[in-house]
Formats: sequence, C-alpha cells, structure tokens
Amino acid sequence: MDDWELEYDRTYGAGSGPTGNPDSAGPSSFEHGHHAPDDGLDIDELMAPVGFQGGNNGVASAEETPVQQLIRLWMNERHAPDILPVQEHLLAGILDHIRRQSEAIQLLRSDPSSSEEEHFRITLVQTEVERIKFIVRSYLRTRLFKIEKYARYITSDPDIQTRISASERAYASKQAQILDQHFWVTVLQSLPESQAHLDDTPLFTPSMITKPDKSRAVFVHALQPCPPVQLPDGSTLEMDKGHISLLPFYVVEHLVLRGEVELV
Amino acid sequence: MSVETRQYGDLSTQLVLESRRSTATDTLLKYNDSLVRSIIREQRDLERAAAPLLLQAAAAAEDDEDNAQPPPPALMILQTAILRNKRCLLAYHHHRTARLRDMYWTVGGALPHLLSDADTRSRLSPHEADYLRQYHDSVMEYRADLGTSELDIMAGIEKPVNDLNVLVKVKKECGVIETELGTIDFRKGQRFMVRRADIEHLIVQGYLEELG
Repeated sequence: MDDWELEYDRTYGAGSGPTGNPDSAGPSSFEHGHHAPDDGLDIDELMAPVGFQGGNNGVASAEETPVQQLIRLWMNERHAPDILPVQEHLLAGILDHIRRQSEAIQLLRSDPSSSEEEHFRITLVQTEVERIKFIVRSYLRTRLFKIEKYARYITSDPDIQTRISASERAYASKQAQILDQHFWVTVLQSLPESQAHLDDTPLFTPSMITKPDKSRAVFVHALQPCPPVQLPDGSTLEMDKGHISLLPFYVVEHLVLRGEVELV
Repeated sequence: MSVETRQYGDLSTQLVLESRRSTATDTLLKYNDSLVRSIIREQRDLERAAAPLLLQAAAAAEDDEDNAQPPPPALMILQTAILRNKRCLLAYHHHRTARLRDMYWTVGGALPHLLSDADTRSRLSPHEADYLRQYHDSVMEYRADLGTSELDIMAGIEKPVNDLNVLVKVKKECGVIETELGTIDFRKGQRFMVRRADIEHLIVQGYLEELG
C-alpha cells in the first residue's frame, strides 16, 4: 500500500520546512504546524513536547492527543496504590500507530531518494517512537507489578477483575497459582495437616491476602473545578482548577476515574 | 542461649531477621534450609503439645454446655506460637519470591542467564528455581497475549531513551549478533556504535558496557 507515502507527505511535505537548522532542532523545539485528523496520532503529535499540558486545557479529554492521554494514564497508574481501569482502546490505537510508524520508517530509510534532511527527521521520529514505547512499557509493567502483588486478592474480587484486561486476568490467576504452589512445596506440605491452609484469620494480625492500601496519600492536581470531597476528619474540600493537594487516595478515587484530577 | 531455654518463636524471629537483612543490604541471601526445617520441626512439636489440651477443652465443653469454660491459657499460648511461626515462614518465602522477581526483571527476563550464574544459583533452593521457571512461563504467556512484535515489554524501564544509538564496550564475548547494521562479531575489548534496541538485552546481561 501507498499508505505510508500519504502519511509521509502529510507530515513532512505539507509543512514549509519547519526545521531550518537541523543542528539545533530537537524533539522539543520541533515546530508543529498542523493537527492530525482524529484517526490517531501522527508524527507531529509524537514530537509534541511532553509533560504538563498548558494551563488552559479545561475539559481534558476533548482536546488531548492520545499521547497526552497515555502520559496521564501512565502517571496516574504509577502513583495510584490501586489498579486503575485499563484503557485497551487507547493502548491498541497507540500500539497500532507505533507499528505503522515503524513500517514507514523502514521503507523511508531504504529509499535511496531520501535527502539528508529527511534522514535527519527520520532519526527524530525513530527516537520519539522509542520514547513512546518506553512509556507504554513502563505503564504495562507498573500494572504487572501491582497484579503480582495483589494476585490472590484479584482472583477473589470480581470488582477489580473488571478493571484489568483479559491477558492481565490470566496473568493474575497464574501468579496466584504459582505462589500458592510455592508456599505449598516449601512450607505448608511439611506442616501438620491442621496448619496447612492459607486462610488463617487470627485476631490482631493482618489478613493473609494483601489488598491495595487505598488510604495511601497521593498528590492530586485538579484539571478542572471539582465537586467537594469529604476529608477523613469530616470537613470538605473543594478544589479549583490547578489546585494541588496531598490526600488519601480513597478521597479522590472517583475524581481520578472521571478524569477531573490527575495524580502527580 | 542454650537450646533448653529457647522460647517458642525465637527461630522464626531469626528467619524474619534474615529477610530484613536482605532488604537492608539489597542482596539475596542464601536460602536458609536448616533454619526452615527447624521451625517446621518446632511446629510439629507445638501441634503435639496442643493436641491433648484441645481434646481436654472439647471434652470440657461437651460435659458442661451451660457453663462453658474459656480454653486453658496453655492452649492459647501454643496456638499463638503456631500461627506466628507459620506466618514468619510464609513471610520469609514471600519476601524471597519478591526479590527473585526483581532479579528476573533486572536481567531483562533472561532466565538461563540468571540460572546459569553459579553464585546466584548457590543461593536459591531448588523450589525457588522452579518458581522462577514458572514465573518466566507466565510472563512469556502474557507477552504472547500482547501480540505485538514492536514493543518488547522485557526491555529496560529505568530511564527513557535519549539516543537511538549507543557506544558500547564489549565486556564479555557474546558471539555474532544480528543487528540492523548487519551482523557484528562482538569480541572482548572492542567498541561499537550500535542501535540501542538491538543490543539493549546484552547491556542488561552485562556482556556490553555503555560508554558515555
């Protein structure tokens, strides 16, 4: 297909040579002329500076690029003590786009008619693709880490199962199973029969099943004016846009899920 | 302290102390098989000591249903010791599996590399080697499920990519490797400028060293 050629024209040909001086151009100083149609992200978006978006981004999801959404998703996941709902649609879109970008890069690199400047741009795009892959990888691995930690809890709790993908569910039950098996062969099988269970519930000791600690404090950054939340001491807090607070996770959990705040 | 004056639970305190030491020094200590066995023996002794008391308490409750007696204090102490020992045993093993998983990811999921290292291997119990193998299978299943060849979830997540290419020095012979630039025969002491994605796993496993 000539798909990649179209994409290449759209991204490189259409602009009026925004990178005048290749020496000083880096991903963050790369000027981006137009915005992509909503079929996904394109190179300009891949190259857009990352991090905090400009302050005047009121209703978040409407104007955000997939990459910005991914970065926020990743930051939230890294900071939240609980496992957040998986965004399979967004992730699939980004993975798909990474694949198409890589294919385009391969073809362009082997095209003898590409100029020096084009080659330089290809390098920039390649670097940015690698950086996006880094975020996706870190996001997925963060989830895997939590799933391993709470594997036994996940297998017993239907609610949390709705928040993870099918392959993550399979991973969770496998993890719970191999850990149980390891406990069995190392400890439990050698104990007298009455002790060989994993469901003791004595008083004054923590449960044998580790649960996410939702009372852990997180830094919350309000993306828009938020409805008041009830603090543990009974008072209420109403956050304006841009407000940053240190709060227990369970207080703001619903705001995180609705995308009204982000964790920083 | 002589064996005679040892209290119930002293051994398991030692065991948990090992876990703490392991965390504090950030190393995996050798699997303490003999201590684990001693605690398991203690568990059996405790169980034997508790059994007659249990029967006694049950009989007492049956005899005198209206006027139920609290269980004898000796039984309470034995049972507390049993539960505590068991919890310590499990905590010790759980802590070790967490460390093993960390080690696994640090070498980028290169299980043969991890298991063939004599020093590491000597610190693992055979069951732990089995655990790692099963863990590896489980991660590989997940990776296959992900169904993308573009994204390698095993690669490093310590720091984001700054450069596509990287200057490396060969620390250990690792033979001929296919890269984007053709095949390279890495020999000790040589330096190469190569595509990071091609050789990242070799850096992680210590064959190559990143320069500058």
